[in-house]
Amino acid sequence: MENRYKVVIIDDEESMRDSCRQILEKDGFLTETAENGLAGLDKVKDINPEIVLIDLKMPGISGMEVLDQVKQINPNIIPIVITGYATVGSAVEAMKKGAYDFLPKPFTPEELRLIIKRGLGRLKLIQETESLKREKKIMEENFITMVSHQLRSPLVAIAQYFEVILGDMVGEVLPQQKDMLNRAKDRLEGLLELINDWLDIARTNGGMIVARRQPLHLQTLLAKLVEFFQPLADKNNISLDLVSPQEDDLVQGDSETLEQVFSNLISNAIKYNQPDGSVTISIQEINDQIAIEIKDTGIGISEEHLPFIFDQFYRVKRSESQKAKGSGLGLTIAKKIIDAHGGTIRVASQPGEGSTFTVLLPKAENNIKS
Amino acid sequence: MENAKAKILIIDDDPDFKEAVAPILHSALFEVVTASNPTEGKEKILTEKPDLILLDIMMDSLFDGFSLCHAVKTSKEFSAAHNTPIIFVSAVKELTGSRFKFNSGEQGLSGPDDYLDKPIKPEELIAKINNLIDKA
Repeated sequence: MENRYKVVIIDDEESMRDSCRQILEKDGFLTETAENGLAGLDKVKDINPEIVLIDLKMPGISGMEVLDQVKQINPNIIPIVITGYATVGSAVEAMKKGAYDFLPKPFTPEELRLIIKRGLGRLKLIQETESLKREKKIMEENFITMVSHQLRSPLVAIAQYFEVILGDMVGEVLPQQKDMLNRAKDRLEGLLELINDWLDIARTNGGMIVARRQPLHLQTLLAKLVEFFQPLADKNNISLDLVSPQEDDLVQGDSETLEQVFSNLISNAIKYNQPDGSVTISIQEINDQIAIEIKDTGIGISEEHLPFIFDQFYRVKRSESQKAKGSGLGLTIAKKIIDAHGGTIRVASQPGEGSTFTVLLPKAENNIKS
Repeated sequence: MENAKAKILIIDDDPDFKEAVAPILHSALFEVVTASNPTEGKEKILTEKPDLILLDIMMDSLFDGFSLCHAVKTSKEFSAAHNTPIIFVSAVKELTGSRFKFNSGEQGLSGPDDYLDKPIKPEELIAKINNLIDKA
């Protein structure tokens, strides 16, 4: 078992080294000794001890300097300085420099044991504090995930019951009951979506997006999304096409949030389309920007609504029969993300003919790697 | 092999989820056993020897599913279960919304064989299970 604590004793007096060693070995410590500062530092690097005993007055490099360097090798080591009565002043200075405590010569074995024991207690405290800090950091990083989990779990359990009941897996359901359950299920799905969007708004943080930007090929990202949405498009009888660019498609972007923007735009384009309609996605280079166009043949948005569709909770009023399902936050999130990328998002629309959303993103500086 | 029922183990701390998913599995003629936490899950993996495991990612802690999956796929204790397919399920959505970061590979962990968002669509669940069991 390598569970024994290690102590390095640095002192130029042989009798001092030997007596400390004897006392500590008897108590189960692993010890190494050195007769000067340099040799002592080598031992410290070698065995990475929990505690170092340093005599302040030694030939060669001073105890004070050894103390400094020990702290640099590993700030968690507990250094204890040994000093004669005459140099209490320098012991105080050593404490200021980060020594845990000092032991005035001559000392009894009992005094040595006590100070080592307290040093180890201190070490344990430091280690516990660090592991708590780590845990807290993980908690903070995953806060949104935790909240999402807590809010969604009960609703998801309800939705799961609906799936099973509506799938006639626990006995037959009468048509009228089924109709009501289906409506209830739709409302529930709307609520789940709202929670997602709401949490997305909360976690969309411009600074974080800027920090995570990397050179990114939009063609790759969009192709992946087109593949993902193909089943939905097929289901709604909509043709979904990505026009491959001949030109540059490299932007400086955060793939996770950009994926979110385009998946929102594409899914809207499919959902608010007409039967047998189409969704066309194209990538173009315009000056020093890349323009991504998502063009649908859907119901369109009338002029009076256009200025507001990126506002929070704004929803285009539609007739009772085609009630909007979304949370009203999707486009707000999209705009927030594109803004953080230093880009713009805009929309043009003709009611009855369709809408075109255009996202402009700054081109990546290609000269970084060639 | 056809007439032997495949046995599915659901490890999830949400009793309603287990209650709601069991009928789906029964309808596809699977045998169902359940466990409510990682410890019970480990026991059942060893005693019940399931053909496939449905594993909730977040139970007592954020990473329960990940560590259990890794243990089943790699540790000596579970050597008999190394090839048992595992499907992760979670209420935290995958592609849109608050996606869960699960680059198990990056963390040096063995990942699951497949992944499903809750609520689970019955047809999708059954298709994925059949697909994985046929392969095994």
